[in-house]
Amino acid sequence: MYRKQVRRRRAVLTLLIIGSFLLLTVTYGQSSGGLQRGVSTIFSPLQDVADRALKPARDAISWFDETFDARGENGHLKTQLEQAREQAVAGQEALQENAQLRKLVELDRGPALAASAYEPVTARVIARSPTVWQSAITVDAGSGDGVRVDDPVISGDGLVGRVASVEGGSAQVTLITDHASAISAKVVPSGVQGVIRPDVGNPEVLILDFIDSSRGVGVEQAVVTSGWRAQGLASLFPPGLPVGEVTHASIVEQKASEQVELRPFADLANLDIVQVLTGGSRG
Amino acid sequence: MIVTPWIFARLAAIAILGVLLQLSFFSRVELLHTSADVLPALVVSLGLLGGSLTGAVSGFAIGFLVDCLLVAPLGASSLVLLSTGYLAGIFRERFEIHSALVPPLLCMGLTLFAEAGFGLVQLMLGVDAPVSPLVLRDLLLKSVYAFFLGWPIYLILRRALRPALVEEPRVTRRRQPTVLGA
Repeated sequence: MYRKQVRRRRAVLTLLIIGSFLLLTVTYGQSSGGLQRGVSTIFSPLQDVADRALKPARDAISWFDETFDARGENGHLKTQLEQAREQAVAGQEALQENAQLRKLVELDRGPALAASAYEPVTARVIARSPTVWQSAITVDAGSGDGVRVDDPVISGDGLVGRVASVEGGSAQVTLITDHASAISAKVVPSGVQGVIRPDVGNPEVLILDFIDSSRGVGVEQAVVTSGWRAQGLASLFPPGLPVGEVTHASIVEQKASEQVELRPFADLANLDIVQVLTGGSRG
Repeated sequence: MIVTPWIFARLAAIAILGVLLQLSFFSRVELLHTSADVLPALVVSLGLLGGSLTGAVSGFAIGFLVDCLLVAPLGASSLVLLSTGYLAGIFRERFEIHSALVPPLLCMGLTLFAEAGFGLVQLMLGVDAPVSPLVLRDLLLKSVYAFFLGWPIYLILRRALRPALVEEPRVTRRRQPTVLGA
């Protein structure tokens, strides 16, 4: 009797392991299948309800965490504020740069989106992936709202990611901190171009890679999407969307590895409301 | 565990509720820049209560549901969580749970195993970007959170699944009557 049980247990375990590998083999590297879309469609109203019901609890815990962080950040921010004041007084150039950044933050009214055919669709974040290996969120706007795969997603602060898959009433968004993400971008005002890649496991850092090391990039310079278009192909993102600011850019590192570190403008850990830019042309 | 249709329905409800809570609440709340992952602790608790088969099957199902909802490659979370549930079940079948610290400690250890396993599966599937050493901080903090969340999860599940649990007879030590002065 006991042996029979053990044999059955092993058979089920073997079956499950084979099933997992089969699923991985069949579905890896493909876009979402009908099964995933179906399950996601069934559960998205439940996720929506859970998101709304749990928001007060989330906010309460976030308040504790933010208070804890704020104490550490206070001194650092004071130093930064002093530096910013000195720079603002020092010259007209810094003021112009400041004005440029302000314009970039006003995304919807700014030239980056006003000149393009994108229509922003506001959506609420209803779920988030539990591991650092997949940076993805689910939003409550889907194909019924005009959302399509590869549409850019922004928050009030800057670029958040792009739509990876869409159902009727929800969509999965791959964040810019996901390992599969790569965005062509440029530093303003110097115009140095590069590709933004994530630093997996560290959502507060992005890497601007493959930059022209002969042109210096300075700390606190803003990085925006470059939005290239060539030979019928075009970037997924419109030009001029703010992505982040340079936080670490030593000359030695720029020369040696042709990369600098950025901090994303968008608070990717606490996303609540985002906008999906629908209807844009992508060559 | 005696799985009747009613208990099966409860197990399914627990799995769905656990996944929804994880995606809508725990993943979106960060303490010390890391969010808690309760799914390995949930699977460990089910394995501890129901044995290796229950642990493995529930791990597979929960992983499958997570992958479906996040539109991630199917099978990755299933593989990791079924191994986690199976190991927890094997522990229950081979050793007796004497101390109240065993479930949270096991949740902590097996969450570490699950997170490392998930990272390993992702690395094998291909990660196109550099990996930060902060992944280790995330891994360790998630295990610590699992220690604190593991005990209430275990207690709640034990209460929810009580009708199905095979109770082991309690060994109680009888006091010998003593005679004063003897």
